[in-house]
Amino acid sequence: MVQTTVVGTYPRIGETFEEQALRRGIARLDRGEIGEADLQVVERDTVRDVLREQNEIGIDLVTDGQISWYDSQSHFAGKLTSIEINGLVRYFDTNTYYRQPVVSGALAWKEPVLVDEWKFAQSNSKAPVKAVLTGPVTLASLALDKHYRSKKTLALDLATAIGEEVGTLVQAGASHVQIDEPILTRHPNDLSLVSESLERIRSHKSSATLTLFTFFGDVATIYKDLAEAPADILGLDLVQGSATWTPLAKHGSTKPLVLGLVDARNTKEEDPAAIAKKALDLKSAIDLKSSYLSPSNGLEFLPRDRARKKLRILRAAAKKVGVGA
Amino acid sequence: MRTLEEKATSEWIRFQEEIGIDILVDGEQYRGDMATYFAENLEGTEISGLVRSYGNRYYKKPIIVDELKRRGPISVDWVHLRPSPDGTTGKGDDHRAVHDDGLVVRRILRFAGGCLPAFAKLLHEEAVALEAAGAKVVQVDEPALSTRLDELPLLVKAVGIVTKGLTAKTVLHTCYGNYNEIFDYFNQLPVDQLDLEMSNSGLDLLERFKREPLKKEIAFGVVDVHSHVIEPESLIRERIEKALTIFSPAKLYIDPDCGLKTRSVEEAQGKLRNMVAAAHAVRKARGLT
Repeated sequence: MVQTTVVGTYPRIGETFEEQALRRGIARLDRGEIGEADLQVVERDTVRDVLREQNEIGIDLVTDGQISWYDSQSHFAGKLTSIEINGLVRYFDTNTYYRQPVVSGALAWKEPVLVDEWKFAQSNSKAPVKAVLTGPVTLASLALDKHYRSKKTLALDLATAIGEEVGTLVQAGASHVQIDEPILTRHPNDLSLVSESLERIRSHKSSATLTLFTFFGDVATIYKDLAEAPADILGLDLVQGSATWTPLAKHGSTKPLVLGLVDARNTKEEDPAAIAKKALDLKSAIDLKSSYLSPSNGLEFLPRDRARKKLRILRAAAKKVGVGA
Repeated sequence: MRTLEEKATSEWIRFQEEIGIDILVDGEQYRGDMATYFAENLEGTEISGLVRSYGNRYYKKPIIVDELKRRGPISVDWVHLRPSPDGTTGKGDDHRAVHDDGLVVRRILRFAGGCLPAFAKLLHEEAVALEAAGAKVVQVDEPALSTRLDELPLLVKAVGIVTKGLTAKTVLHTCYGNYNEIFDYFNQLPVDQLDLEMSNSGLDLLERFKREPLKKEIAFGVVDVHSHVIEPESLIRERIEKALTIFSPAKLYIDPDCGLKTRSVEEAQGKLRNMVAAAHAVRKARGLT
């Protein structure tokens, strides 16, 4: 049967008082009532809850929900040398904003950013925890570059830094690493740069499984080449990127896929049978047994109770695929 | 709660009058957030749990479950709630334009798919009611304007539905998007004035306006609402002077980049005081009234 996974983010707060501890904690930090160490305790309690929810529903490959990330861009980039974090910019076509990294000199990786977070998450999850990083080309495209004056050079230096980070994650025990490159849905011509930078990252991954994920749109025009990119697994948004379906069904894939079939940006609930049917339509084009079903992108655009519902739909759909396969 | 909301609204209106702002807003003290307020006052919607916007800011996501209908006036009562010159709250006093900030079209559309014309129609009814109640300026907020480029032609039509036949001055506010990608649509938007966040983005759009002139009024954001720093009058003056190199004084309005609710009271008041002082200083230096 097909497995299940998530893309990355998870809602940080929910409907109950207990589920809103993180928001209260951050407000108290802002007022100077607690310190960073106190907030980390609250953050980790939230991560534990997020992992418990995914484990209880039966998701096979989980994430820490990126709970401690301010946003997808500044969390990692902000900890590299020569990068400062600046004002708010809208994040793709979502209702969220990121703080823009400003590159003022040659950047370099200093020390592990995600390793402690990953270790804590894995120690609180039965299912393997996937380490998720925003890819170098997306980071380079959304940053303000005052030094390199070339997206390619900046992206490749970022890839080197990400490679270092991936190396430390794998050394700490991470068996799954995912690189997010949503920018490919906006700039398909960046594919060759994505592939070149993935080669740099790949050299650090050792025996870990490397996933390349694209979301917030389709990759129909580049699908055939994208399927050959130097990653072990390819993740696809098949909701907002439903146009990818045609080339996917036509060309199939030699590598396992993550099929983002459950809409992570709309509260409307899918019928698990319909999701399962879509996956089964690909039975002869891809290897379903080594592939995954997932939401179309991170779950943080949904209220927490709806996110849980979506995960249950995912799990139910995967079970139906198992019966039909 | 209503009493407290009225008190807060009166206080903020009085503050704006005291420091000499020309076009006032009611401060949206009675709105939980910009998207939910209108949705919860319409039939056919349901309000879900909290979703993150950025940092520690969350909003309640409206979900459309049925055909949309307007029960009656939504924000009209707040137009009347303005203090009379002696400081007590008076009703129906319309000697000065009231800037109703926040008729949201697009923000709600984003969650709803193909329901834009339905929202636009309801907001048009509300705008007509606001005008009848004495509003001289009606602003539509479209913070997400630049997020779905393929939907821009549809959006231009929707804004046209909202503003059709209004005699009040119409304003469209947008912020924190890639203006360069939507620039070509600025002159097509059927409003009298465009309200843009300029200081957060370092006024970097000015060059483009120089090459491709705006054919309507502009409200030009001169203070960054996401920064704790209270910009000094001199810096704001510089920004206004830069704006005046491109826009004629008659078509230029000065305002903050966006709403001030994410700032502390002290920060908001400080920013507005310096903004007004800077605008007055520029007017005086140039002999403008």
